[in-house]
Amino acid sequence: MKIATLNESPARSITAAVALALLSAAPAVAGMSGGFNRLLEAVVRIDVREVSFEQGARRFVAGVGSGVILSKDGLVLTNAHVASPYAVEISITLPSLERVSAQLVGWDHWTDLALIRLDVDEVKRRGLTFQHADFGNSDKLYVGETVYAVGTPYGLTRTVTRGIISNDRRYFEDDEGVHGYETGTFNNWLQTDAAINPGNSGGPLVTEDGKVVGINSRGFIGADNLGFAIPANVARRVVDELLAHGAITRSYIGLVPGTLQDLEHFYGLALNIGMLVKSVDPGSPAARAGLHGGDVLLAINGQTVDGRFPEQLPPIQNAIASLPVGSTVRLSVKRGTETLDVPVVTERLESRMGEEWAFDKWGVSVRKVSRAYARENQLDSDLGVIVLGVQPGFPAAVAGLAPGDIITRVNQQPLADLATLKGLYDQYDRQPASLLVEVTRERRVSLFILKP
Amino acid sequence: MTLSARRLLLRAALLGLLPALSLRAADLPDLFAQRVKSCVTVEFLVENELDRQPVSVLGVCVDTNGTIVLPATAIGARVSVRQLKDFKVYLPDSATAYGAEYLGQDVLTGWHFVRAEEKIRAQLVPVTAWVVPGAPEPRLADQVWGIGLRGKDEDFRPYFLMSRVGLIEAMPQQTGIAATEVAGPGLPVFNRDGALVGLALNSFGQNYLMFSRRERGQPVVLVDVEESSVFLFNREVLPYLGRVPKNPSGRPLPWLGAFGLEPVAPDVAKFLQLENQSALVVSEVLENSPAEKAGLKGHDIIVALDGQPLPRLKPDQAVVTYLEREIDRRLPGDRLPLTVLRDGKRLELDVTLGDEPRIIREADRRYFERLGLTVREFLYGDGVARRVKVAEQRGVIVDFVKPNSPAAAGGVEFDDWVREIDGKEIKTYADAVAALSAIEADKTRADFVLLTSRDGETAVRRVKLQ
Repeated sequence: MKIATLNESPARSITAAVALALLSAAPAVAGMSGGFNRLLEAVVRIDVREVSFEQGARRFVAGVGSGVILSKDGLVLTNAHVASPYAVEISITLPSLERVSAQLVGWDHWTDLALIRLDVDEVKRRGLTFQHADFGNSDKLYVGETVYAVGTPYGLTRTVTRGIISNDRRYFEDDEGVHGYETGTFNNWLQTDAAINPGNSGGPLVTEDGKVVGINSRGFIGADNLGFAIPANVARRVVDELLAHGAITRSYIGLVPGTLQDLEHFYGLALNIGMLVKSVDPGSPAARAGLHGGDVLLAINGQTVDGRFPEQLPPIQNAIASLPVGSTVRLSVKRGTETLDVPVVTERLESRMGEEWAFDKWGVSVRKVSRAYARENQLDSDLGVIVLGVQPGFPAAVAGLAPGDIITRVNQQPLADLATLKGLYDQYDRQPASLLVEVTRERRVSLFILKP
Repeated sequence: MTLSARRLLLRAALLGLLPALSLRAADLPDLFAQRVKSCVTVEFLVENELDRQPVSVLGVCVDTNGTIVLPATAIGARVSVRQLKDFKVYLPDSATAYGAEYLGQDVLTGWHFVRAEEKIRAQLVPVTAWVVPGAPEPRLADQVWGIGLRGKDEDFRPYFLMSRVGLIEAMPQQTGIAATEVAGPGLPVFNRDGALVGLALNSFGQNYLMFSRRERGQPVVLVDVEESSVFLFNREVLPYLGRVPKNPSGRPLPWLGAFGLEPVAPDVAKFLQLENQSALVVSEVLENSPAEKAGLKGHDIIVALDGQPLPRLKPDQAVVTYLEREIDRRLPGDRLPLTVLRDGKRLELDVTLGDEPRIIREADRRYFERLGLTVREFLYGDGVARRVKVAEQRGVIVDFVKPNSPAAAGGVEFDDWVREIDGKEIKTYADAVAALSAIEADKTRADFVLLTSRDGETAVRRVKLQ
C-alpha cells in the first residue's frame, strides 16, 4: 500500500465535471452551524499549471486541489504539493463560482503547506466576495471527535465528507513526498476516516463549528478511509513564518533518529528517556562532532528527550530544527557506559532537491547537486548537476547521457553551479560547437561529446 | 533435347559431384571419434551453510598429467576454495566417475585447473594432439566444428556441431563468432580437416522479444549454456595452457588499484586529439594502491601503456579487458609504465604493480548455526564498496543469513557491516568470532544486539534467541 498525495490529474476532473453537472440539482445541506456554513464559503478549488523537468524538456502539467481562505485580503492556505514554486499559473474558483488568479506567497515542503494570495486588484475590480475561515486548536482534538473534510475530490467542488479523528499523533515521513522534496520530518499528522480522495489536497479538516483543525493532505491508496491532515497548530506557525519571511528557516545537525522500542534495557536507560541515533549523515555537524549510529541521545540543551516510539520523533526533530542556525547545541549522549556532553554547531537545513532547469536544444533537463544529495550519495562534493531526463534524438541522448548521470565537468572545467551550465548553453545557442562532458554514473567517470 | 535427356544429364552431373563430397565427409565421424577423447564433463559441489549445490561443467584435457581446463565462469567469484568439494571427471559416453583435484584459478585467463586421477589419464588425449603446425587460422566463412556433450542422464553422450565463421574480432583476444553453435562452452573447435583452431567460450547473449498473454514483445537476452558459437583462436589459448596455478588461491595477483576504468568513444578520442587509438578514464584511484603511489589520480585519462597508444578495439569496452590483461600477465613488483592526460597535459607515470589485498574467495568466514548467520573478515574491497578509509576499516561483514533464523528475525541481512556486538566495538574478525562464539555457547542468553551499517545507514539490530 502506498501513501499518495491527493491532488488530481486533469483527465479525471473532466469526467468529474460531467458528474458534477448531473448532480447539481441535489438539495443544499441544511441544519449545520452558522460557523460551518461560513466555512463552506471559504473553501476554494485550486487549478494549477506547473512546470515539470522530468522528460528532458520543459513540460507543463495541470492539477486540481483545494484550499481554504484565511483572511479578508485573500490569503489561501493549501498543500505544498498543490501550489509550489513549480506553479506557473494558479487559478482559484471561489464558492461564488467566480474564477480569480493567485500568486504563491511561500511554501514549506517539510510540512506540505503553501500560502497563496488571490489577485486583490482583480477581486476589488470585479467586486468579488468570499468568507474566510478561522483556525481551531488542533491540540484539543480528541480521538473519536467528529470532523468534516471539505474540498474538491476528483474535481467535485465543495464536497463535504464526515468522519472522526482516528489518531491525533500519526508519524509519517516521506523522503520525496512533495515534488520529490522531503516531508513529514517535523510534524505528526491527524488521521481521519472522513473520505479523502485525490483533489481533497489542501482543503480543510474542520470541526462542527467550522473551525479549521487540519489541512487534508494525503491518504493510503487502496485503503478505506485512512486519510492524513497537517494539524492546524502546525499550520498556524507555518503561515505566520511564510507571511513574515516567505520561507521557513530550520537548523540541521545531521542526526537520523531511530526508535528505542525494546532496547531501553539493553542500553541501561532510565524509564521514558532517550532517542536512538540510527545514523549520522556523513560530513554533517553531528558527524564532525564525532557522533555515530548506536549512540543514544539523552538531552538537547539539558532538556531530556523521549523517543522510544515513532510518533515521538517529530517533536524532537522539530526541537533541533527550531534552534537558531549557527548556534551551538549541547547534546547529552550515552555511548556504552559513558555519558558524553557533545557541543554541535547547527547548520541551515537544506533539501536534497536542487534547482531544476531544461536545456531545450541539448534535449536534457537537470537538477543541481545539493549538499544533502552529495552527502546522501557519498559524493566527494556538491559539484555538478544530475540529469533528470533526456529527449531521444537530441544531442544529450545521442552523446549517451542518461537519467541519473551527474555532469561534473564541461570542457574539463568543473561545473560548480547551474549558472555556469546556463552560460555554456547560451554560448552554444549563439554559436553551436562540440562540448566535452564528463559524467559520473554509479561512481564511474565517462566522457561524452555533445555535438550540435 | 528431350526432357528425359536433360534429367539424365543432371543426374550424371550430380553423380560426378557426389564422390568428391562423400570422400571428404566420410572422415568427419573418425575425426570426431578421436577428438572426443580430449573432452570431459567435470562435476563438483559447492558447499554452502545449508545446502550443497551441484555444478556440472565441460572441460578440456591439456596435457598427459590429466590436467583439465574449465571455463572462467565455472566457479563464482565469491566461492572460496574451501567450499569446493568432490570433484569428479566423466568421459563422454560413460557413467564412470573418476576422482579429481582442484588446482586453482589462473588470473590471466580466468581458467580453473583441475587434475584428474591417474586411472583415467590413459584414456584422455591432450587437446594439443590436434594442433597442426602451420595450419592457417580460421578465415571468414570457413567451416568449423566441435563437440557438444549431453547430460548425466544420457551418459554425457557426445554430439557433433558444425558452423561457419561469421565474424572475427579482437576483443582484445582474437575471437571467432560462428553463425550458429559450434561446440560446448569450454570445448575445442576444429577446422574441416580436424586441426585444432580454438577453444569455445561461453556463448554471448542473444536478443529476443518475448511474447506472452500479458506482455507484448518484451526484450529478453537469452544465453545458451550448453552450446556456444564463440571461440578463442589458438594463439589466445595454446601459449597459456601451461599456466597451472601454484596454489588454489591463484596467487600472486598483480594489482594496480584504479577503480572504474571507462573507455572513451571514438568521437571523444578525436575531440581529445587521440586519432586511431583508444583511451581509458580512471574513475577513482584506490587508497594505498600502487596506482596512488605512482601518482595516478581520479579523472586521469590513460592514453598509452609501455609507450604504446591503447589500441582502438570494438566494442569500446574491449580496451578495458586489454589493460586488465596487460596487468594480469605481469607479476607484483613488475613495472606498468602509463601515459596519462591530466588537464590537457601528458604525464608519464611509472607504476610498480603490487600484490592484490585479500579477495572475497580468500576471506575467513564462520557460520554460527544457532544464531543463523555467517560473518567474514572485512576486506579491502569492502572498504572500497562502502567508501571507508583503510584506517576506519574494522568489524566484519555478514556473509549469509539463514532464513527464519534468529538473525533473520532480528532484521540482519546479507552484506550488513557489523561494527559492534553487544555494545562493544569489533575491531577484527577474531573479535567477532570470539564474541559470537561466546553468545552461541551460552544457552541462557535471551538476546544479543548488533550495530550494523547498510547503505551508509547504521541500525541497531536486536536478535532474540529464545
